[in-house]
Amino acid sequence: MNDPQVVIIGGGITGTAIAYHLAKLGAKRVTVIEKDYLSSGSTGRCGGGIRQQWSSPYNVRLAMKSVEHFTRFREEMDMDIEYYQGGYLLLSFDEEEATQFEENVRMQREEGLKVEILSSKEVSQKYPYIRTEGLKMATFCKTDGHANPHKATFGYANAGKKLGVAIHTHTNAEQVDVQSGSVKGVHTTRGYFPADIVINAAGPWSKEVGQLAGIDLPTESYRHQIFVTEALDYFFPFMAISFSGNFYMRQAMHGQFIMGKGDADEVPGINRNVTYRFAKEMAIKMVKVFPFLENLRILRHWSGEYNMSPDAQPVIGESPQLKGYYYSVGYSGHGFMIAPAVAEGLAHIIMNGSSPFLDLAPLNTHRFRGKTQREKNVV
Amino acid sequence: MVNPQFFIVGAGPAGLCAGIAAAEQGVSVLIVDEGFMPGGQLPKQTHKFFGHKGFFASVRGFDIAHQLVERAEKAGVEIRLETSVAGIYEDCIALWDRKKDHVWESKPERILIATGASERFIPFENNLLVGIYGAGAVQTLMNQYGVLPGKDFLIVGSGNIGLIVGYQLVQAGARVKAIVDIASKIGGYEVHSRKIERLGIPILLNHTIVKAIGKQKVRGAVIAPVNDQWKPITSESRELFVDSICLAVGLQPSVELAAQSGSAIEYIPALGGYIPVRDPQMRTTIPTVFVAGDISSIEEASTAMMEGFIAGFQVAQDLTGTDMQAKMSNMRDELTALRRGPFSSKVREGLGHFGIHFPSGGYRTETQTETGPFDTMKALIECPQCIPCNPCETSCPTKAIEVGGNLNGIPWVNYEACTGCGICAMICPGLAIFMVQKKGDKAVIGIPYELLPLPEKEDVVFVQDRKGQVLGEATVIRVMKNEKEKTHLVFIEVPIEWADTVRSVQVPEQKKNDYICRCEEVTVEEIERAIDMGYTDYEELRRYLRIGMGPCGGRVCRAQTLQILSSKLEIPIAELEPGTFRAPSIPLPFRAIRRGETDE
Repeated sequence: MNDPQVVIIGGGITGTAIAYHLAKLGAKRVTVIEKDYLSSGSTGRCGGGIRQQWSSPYNVRLAMKSVEHFTRFREEMDMDIEYYQGGYLLLSFDEEEATQFEENVRMQREEGLKVEILSSKEVSQKYPYIRTEGLKMATFCKTDGHANPHKATFGYANAGKKLGVAIHTHTNAEQVDVQSGSVKGVHTTRGYFPADIVINAAGPWSKEVGQLAGIDLPTESYRHQIFVTEALDYFFPFMAISFSGNFYMRQAMHGQFIMGKGDADEVPGINRNVTYRFAKEMAIKMVKVFPFLENLRILRHWSGEYNMSPDAQPVIGESPQLKGYYYSVGYSGHGFMIAPAVAEGLAHIIMNGSSPFLDLAPLNTHRFRGKTQREKNVV
Repeated sequence: MVNPQFFIVGAGPAGLCAGIAAAEQGVSVLIVDEGFMPGGQLPKQTHKFFGHKGFFASVRGFDIAHQLVERAEKAGVEIRLETSVAGIYEDCIALWDRKKDHVWESKPERILIATGASERFIPFENNLLVGIYGAGAVQTLMNQYGVLPGKDFLIVGSGNIGLIVGYQLVQAGARVKAIVDIASKIGGYEVHSRKIERLGIPILLNHTIVKAIGKQKVRGAVIAPVNDQWKPITSESRELFVDSICLAVGLQPSVELAAQSGSAIEYIPALGGYIPVRDPQMRTTIPTVFVAGDISSIEEASTAMMEGFIAGFQVAQDLTGTDMQAKMSNMRDELTALRRGPFSSKVREGLGHFGIHFPSGGYRTETQTETGPFDTMKALIECPQCIPCNPCETSCPTKAIEVGGNLNGIPWVNYEACTGCGICAMICPGLAIFMVQKKGDKAVIGIPYELLPLPEKEDVVFVQDRKGQVLGEATVIRVMKNEKEKTHLVFIEVPIEWADTVRSVQVPEQKKNDYICRCEEVTVEEIERAIDMGYTDYEELRRYLRIGMGPCGGRVCRAQTLQILSSKLEIPIAELEPGTFRAPSIPLPFRAIRRGETDE
């Protein structure tokens, strides 16, 4: 499409990155509407990790593509987003998982990713501040890293604005205007925005925003809690994560430790409260593996949502039922790290009909018709 | 010791020096003072004193107090604080120890009354409002208690006290909107008024305060020019937005106790009002009662110290029989030197009423017209009045400065001998010496600087002329830090045409560290800049700048940040999102959480 009028619903990393890439490809009439403030949804609440060690080759490729974007972010967007490639240390406390990790590494290396396998003893020698009791093995990829999600969102938003993107915060989408099978615009609390293309980038509210156009998306949001400690001198450059141990932790550049875990008994819905039980479980669990935390204090504790899809993979593409209605949702807790690559791909599909770098077709909803393969490397 | 030989009322400079003089001769001395700190007004004085090296020139007031108290205590002087003299009765002196709430009787052999002076006030509409202070109260609050009584000040009175308090207020971070004086010329030393003016503070002569605005508290002041009968021309009045008014309209001697003692008093306006009659040795008409300091003429701390010494020596001679004539005569020479200048003409005239005569003159009155060359760094002195002060002369390592005649002369520089070291500029109590070097189309100016923050090398600062007018920007090329006296020298490079006009630097706002978020050290300026960049929600600012992410959890900074947002965006605070309030409300240790679990 030559010069589509695009309305993106959602001002997180997904929405702002798509807006930026559309504008970069020449779209002149791109508007982002955000019901609150930029990065107020999942993006601004996430842990900020950027990982390439996945269990499916497709995800590894997607993530490696995103790392290229993060690596040149500062130069391209003229913004320091505290991106740092300190690596990801995946810790396995489970025999079966360890075997799976070895297989994953074989596959990841085939995809061109440099990954090390470390024995429990090697971990304890290399990182004496980690207690390795019960640890089976670990894998380490030093090009993994982390960045500040809020700054990344603002980086895309500001770069987009320079290319003509309009951003309306505190603007809530109330209805998608659909006429004869095509989108025509969006009714919002701040008036009507005409549109040839509407993109659902609403993160935790993806299902609700789908319903504004009568589209039923297979996504559900689950609360995930996270907290941050007071700062120590910087010494812990990587993200430590364990699926079998159910935790992740990193030290921010400012020195604080950010950590979280999944809770099996969460029910779908938006809930931004935090529980003391979470703090308790984390304190006990984390001090066992990282004894130095014993002397630290928890400063802030918050929650955000994983917008989950049935296979823990994003749901991306144009709706088969409604022309002009796109979605980029269901990131299942790893949206921040792959959004840049997906956004670029989706922008190409919208502007040119296909994506030259990335095949996004496997991520559309038709996959849910058959049997799906769930991504295993998720906390 | 309630029955000392020598009883002194007032632990200010006069009382302390009298105590030292007598105690060092073996006399038992008790000094009582109403305050909780010895030193009288000295502890409130953060500026460097004038005079000469032998008498604390270039030493800051509070340091003089420390030195005097130390010496007095070493000599065996007892100082009782928070003790008031309830009266000098016929049978005894009644002393009320306010801490113990106990009245003592004292029957000393000699008494020195060194009660100083009290502040004058002037009538104007609404002059009882909260926020109107005497200059002494402002100094007490600001320099002694560490409390800044207001943000925006009008000062009434351009004598040395008004000028000094104005300067100290700026040092403490307040703004002085103007200094008004009903007289047609500045009352204080010109070096003081120049310090004020180059900060950009107007001194409005032939002006007075007409009215304070406000119901409970000062919200403003109305000032007006006066006609030749000193009546305000109300049609030309104008309003100043201030929250405090500082009155520095003069002092009057506190003679109550001297009068109670039976000493004769006389009304001598030249000395400040009612004054106890006394002889050259400071003895009143009652032979056992002496006075010294501001009670005997409103003057300087240095003259108070000298009078104190003279009184103390005389008391020692009375009580011990030791001949103290030589010491007294020395001290009288010191006084004579100090009182020769034009600023002492009233004191000389007033003392004449008691048949006490001090000579005048004998010093240079011309300013140096031939200065330079400035091909290398040289000192340039801008000290146009004859004031009794010579640290520039005595501090110069190459003897290149000479004040001419006596203490009161106007200093001249021998440019062949001046090496441009900057010592005189750092020591000058009037901040009246600048360092100048001219090379090609550039000039380097060294400016004495006593404000915070101190600029650093390579900082860009605003440069101001003698009236505080900002001429432009300049880069700091060097800072000579003076950790001892705290008068630093900031060297800037400016175009040659500014060499004779630039006399002040102003650190741009962003160098100022007005912290809003103290945990994460985020300043007002950073917040305002972030808002300009488009971070217009509290939560956005929080995430971008880390406001409120520290241990306080935003308790300290949230409201202030919202206030800045509100005023920049012109949206009432009530309509802004206040951001999330998160648990834990206090940093919670892992250990405590774990203990809570294992104890269960």
